[in-house]
Formats: sequence, C-alpha cells, structure tokens
Amino acid sequence: MAGSSPVLEDGSLLSRLDRGLFKAEQVFALMSGIAVFMLMVLAVISVSGRNALNRPMPGYVDWIEFAMPLIAFMGIAYTQRGGGHIRMDILVGKLKGRPLWAAEFVTTAVTLLLIVLLIWGSWSHFLRSFDFSAPLWSRDSSIDIKLPLWPAKLLAPVAFSILAARLCLQLWGYGRAFVHNQVNPVGVPITLSAAEQAAEEAAHVGGLDT
Amino acid sequence: MEPIQIGLVVTGLLFVVVLLGMRVAFAAGLAGMIGLIWIFWAKAGYDPARFGKSLTIAVKTAGQVPHSKIASQELSLIPTFILIGYLAYYAGLTKSLFEAAKRWLGWLPGGLAVSTVFATAGFAAVSGASVATSAVFARIAIPEMQENGYDKRFAAGVVAAAGTLASLIPPSAILVIYAIIVEQNVGKLLLAGFIPGAFSAVVYGTLIVGMAMTIKGFGPAVGGYTWKERFVSLPPAFPIFFVVIIIILFIYNPFGGDAWGTPTEGGALGAFVVFLMALWKRMSWSQFKDALLETAKLSAMIFTIIWGVLIYVRFLGFADLPGAFSDWITSLEHSPMITLIMILLAYAVLGMFMDAIGMLLLTLPVVYPAVMALNGGENVSAADSAFGMDGTMCAIWFGILVVKMAEFCLITPPIGLNCFVVAGVRDDLTVQDVFRGVTPFFIADAITIGLLVAFPAIVLYLPSLASGG
Repeated sequence: MAGSSPVLEDGSLLSRLDRGLFKAEQVFALMSGIAVFMLMVLAVISVSGRNALNRPMPGYVDWIEFAMPLIAFMGIAYTQRGGGHIRMDILVGKLKGRPLWAAEFVTTAVTLLLIVLLIWGSWSHFLRSFDFSAPLWSRDSSIDIKLPLWPAKLLAPVAFSILAARLCLQLWGYGRAFVHNQVNPVGVPITLSAAEQAAEEAAHVGGLDT
Repeated sequence: MEPIQIGLVVTGLLFVVVLLGMRVAFAAGLAGMIGLIWIFWAKAGYDPARFGKSLTIAVKTAGQVPHSKIASQELSLIPTFILIGYLAYYAGLTKSLFEAAKRWLGWLPGGLAVSTVFATAGFAAVSGASVATSAVFARIAIPEMQENGYDKRFAAGVVAAAGTLASLIPPSAILVIYAIIVEQNVGKLLLAGFIPGAFSAVVYGTLIVGMAMTIKGFGPAVGGYTWKERFVSLPPAFPIFFVVIIIILFIYNPFGGDAWGTPTEGGALGAFVVFLMALWKRMSWSQFKDALLETAKLSAMIFTIIWGVLIYVRFLGFADLPGAFSDWITSLEHSPMITLIMILLAYAVLGMFMDAIGMLLLTLPVVYPAVMALNGGENVSAADSAFGMDGTMCAIWFGILVVKMAEFCLITPPIGLNCFVVAGVRDDLTVQDVFRGVTPFFIADAITIGLLVAFPAIVLYLPSLASGG
C-alpha cells in the first residue's frame, strides 16, 4: 500500500506554492482514477457486447493501451508530494535535523536530475510519432481502430514536468530546513517511524470502513 | 572497463542510494540511466567529444521505456485490482463477511478465531492490502474475541497473521507484477496462488482448532445459528466470493471448454459488482472520489517502480549481469535445492526491511534468471530439470514461493508491519504483545512454506490443469 506522510503548511511563499501545485496534482490524480474506472466500464461493455449481442467491442485493446499511460503517469507528482513512492527508511528513519535534511536534499536532487533527463527522453519519444503535416498529426497508430498514439506518449513528459516542479519545491523545502535547522519544515513529507506510519494507515482505513 | 564490471558498479550504486532512502522507483531509473550513459560512452572509447552523443542515445533509450512498457493490456489488471480493493471498504464487506464467517464456522472449537481467519483472509484477498485489512479487522474482530474470553494477545495475532493472505488468493496485484517482470502468463500465476492461499488459511484454522481442543479456557465456540440465519448472512458477503470466482473462471473453465474471457475482463466484472454493492450501501461522492484518488496514488506508485526497474533492466541487458550471476549460481557446489532455499531465506531477511513490491522488482531481474538456470534453463523439460518441473512451472512455483515469503515478512520481528498496525489500532496492546500472539502462526507459516517447497504440486495443480485444457 502506498503510505502517505503529512505535509505541514504555513503562510510562507513555499507553502502557498506547495498548496497551489497540490491542487493541480489532485486534478491530475483524479483523472488517473477516473481512467481506471472507465477501464472497468469498458471491460463490462466489451464482455456484455460479446456475450449478449455476440459483437465484441471494436478497439477494446487499443483503448486500454491508450488509457494505461493516463493511469500510470498522471498521479506521479501527487504521490511524490505525500511521500507515497516507497523507499527503504531503515537509515533515514534514524536521522534527525540537519543530517536528515541533507540526505533528503541529495536524494531529491538526483531524482530531479533523472526526471529532467526523462522529460527530454520521453519528449523525443513523443516527437517521433507526432507530425503536424500528417493526418491526425500522427505518424503511427494503434493496430485495431487506428487511434493516434502521440496523445498517450505526450502524457509522460507532461506528468514528468509536474513532478519536476514538485521536486523543485521539495528541494527548496529541504534546503530551507537545513539552513534554519528546522524540526518540522513545511512543504515536504514528514518522515514517520514504522509505528507512526502504521497508526496513520489504521486511522485512514478506519475512516473508510463505514 | 568491461560491461559486466560496469554492471556490478552500477548495481552497487543502486543499493547504496536505496539504502540512503532514495525512492526505489527513481533509484532504479537513475541506476539504469547512469549505466546506459556509461556503457554507450565506454563503447565510444571514453572520447570526451563523443560524450554528448552517448548521453543522447542513452536518454532516448531510457525515455521510451515508460510509455512503451506501460501501454499494455496485461498491466491494466493492476489498477483494476486496486480499485476493487478501495471500493470494497465502502461496500460494507468487512462486517458482512465477518458475520457470515461467524454463522458458518463459529461452532468449531475456537470458532470465533477460525471465523476471523477466514473473514480476514477473504477480505484481504479481495482488497489486496495486507496491512490495511489487519487494521480494519483489529477494530471489528479483536473486541468480540476478547468479550468471548480469548487472550487479547492471541486475538491480535490472529488478525495480524490472517491479513498476510492478501497476495496469494486472486485478485493479486503482486502476482501480476511478478508475471510481467519474468514474462510469464499472468492468468496461470493468478490461478496458482489460489490453492496455496486457501491452504494457508486452512492451516491457520486447523492450528486454532487444535489449540482450542488442547488449551483449557481458550475461548468458547459460538453456536446456536439456524440454517436460515446462515443462508441469510451470505448475500451481503456475496461480492467477495464473486470477485474470487469470476477471476478464476475468466482464466480457467473447470467445466471444460474455453475460459470465459481474459483476466482483465474478469477483474473488471468483479470491480463492477463491488462498485454496485458500494452504491447500494450509499457510498457518497466524496467517498467515491477518495477511492479513485487512492487508486490513482497506489497505481502511480506501482507503475513508477515498474518503469524505473525496466530502465535498469534495459541497462542490465547491455551489461549481461543476469547471465554472469546465473553462471555463478549454477557453478556453486551445493545442490540446487539448497541454493534455492538460501535464496528464499535471503528474501526473508530483505523483506524485513523493504516493501514486498520494491523488494521483488529490484531483485527479480537478476535472481529470476539464476533460479531458472538452477532448474536447467527456461526451456528445460520436467525430466531433465533439477526441481522436477519444466521451465514454465518452475517460474510459477518460484513466484508463489517468493510472494509467500514477502507476506511472511509482515509478521516477522523486528518490523513486521502487520503487527505494528494491529498494535497501533488497539491502545491496550503493545507491539511485543502482538508478536507474542502471532508466534503460533509464524511457526505454521514456516511449515507451510516448507510444504510448498517439498510438494510443488500444491502450487502447480491448478495451472497444470489450465495448460492441459
């Protein structure tokens, strides 16, 4: 299960930017969730069409392949904001104060470097199938119903760009925490111990269990 | 430097950054990216003038991995299974399942604890979330067991242990991930998980009955339900059975003939029924939105690790590290079985410190080819193999074993997460209490794993039927 850590807020510019970006991240993540739901609806239509009307839905697999990048990429920054991408916290969980913020700063900085390279790489992957002069601006298409592939390919660099913005804010947050030697910095996920994380998890699903 | 040496250095770097707390997905992607740049530049003779070109080739190679690997029909099973899990909370399935289990199994010695095992295991299977299931059932089942005279530590142990049955009984997202990483048939792996998962639940149940019969004042049976009351309790719990059965039927048709469809369709139908049930239970828009956001978050987390690791795998292909590791493993003087057991024990240790998905994805690209080589290779026949099964069956068997190991780690000290979460929910219990309560199940699990290793037929019976049919 993706864990989530609290992110503290205050009136500072960093925190306001954090909340502003979070709104965009939520919209993107919701689009990803709706895409999962549509995937389910699509399969139900496909199965009932095949069995009840003896007519399979045209392009079922094409649509799935089209929806998958939406599901896989759009929630990436939202997950990063709450510290939901898993990691091994056996070492950083023990650190406190400046050593902790320094470690977080360094790992976030190299993550940002990777994501910038991937924006470049995934953008050129997109450019290979995009062509203004081609029909539907597309050089390639899906096998069955000939959907253009470029919109799905474009999602990767777009989602990675938002992630890059999130990583910049987190770098700022960790940098500020390091400089001012803060205990509870704003705009970054607070590292929890296994026990605290478990209690958070329990509280969250407790709310779900209606 | 030879490619294999670059492979070793980059893999070492990967473990260092993971240990430093870098997110597993990005650590794997970074290692892959650095490795690719290095290997391409090494091919260019480390000529400074050609670094830019090497960098461009590496970035473009890595940059196409996320989209090209993610846009697949088989991977769509993962978000569908996750959606089922989150909707299940709003469909009121936890309480109705516990009620049904009590009415049908409560009459057994230690009946309330046995009912808890089956209800928790059933819900865990459908929700796919071990830790969350344990948290929910800690709230529902522990107070009731305490009222009936059970030791509270034991009651906590029951809930913590039964939650671990999430990843074997279908639907299981982690088995889908395994199948995709090792390029095996997803349906067969899902099918293979059913008997070992159900078997584990039966072992737990039998253990409780045995303890109730030998230990005085263990906890009474809860009987007195009429057959009518029993049957009335079934419809509210129906979606749980529906999800498990429909996924199996969409992979393998026990009545002969073709399966009813693809696992993707089976999963979607299951999700649809759970969704209808949640609507019937008056799920609000904000609850539905919460379920969608949580699904998006968990999906993003899993897919990011998948493409991150696949960038690393792309690099490993150039460095041929898996080949070298396989050669080393097969050159060991121990019998292949001893080596396999050592590998499983290594997973038990690693699982204490790392989430199951991260652990499997990071290690399988190197470990899996080695296990296949131990058995005699991907295309070996059962007769020529070390473990008495062909390559495909060995892949399935190993997958079930490592997933069971990963789940086992949720109740092993020092940081078995299920025990922490149960103690976190109950103010009157410490983590030590829960670890003490879970000890009998810990032993039972160790025995179960031993049986799965000694008798692979428990795992391979269902998938072998599917291949024949």
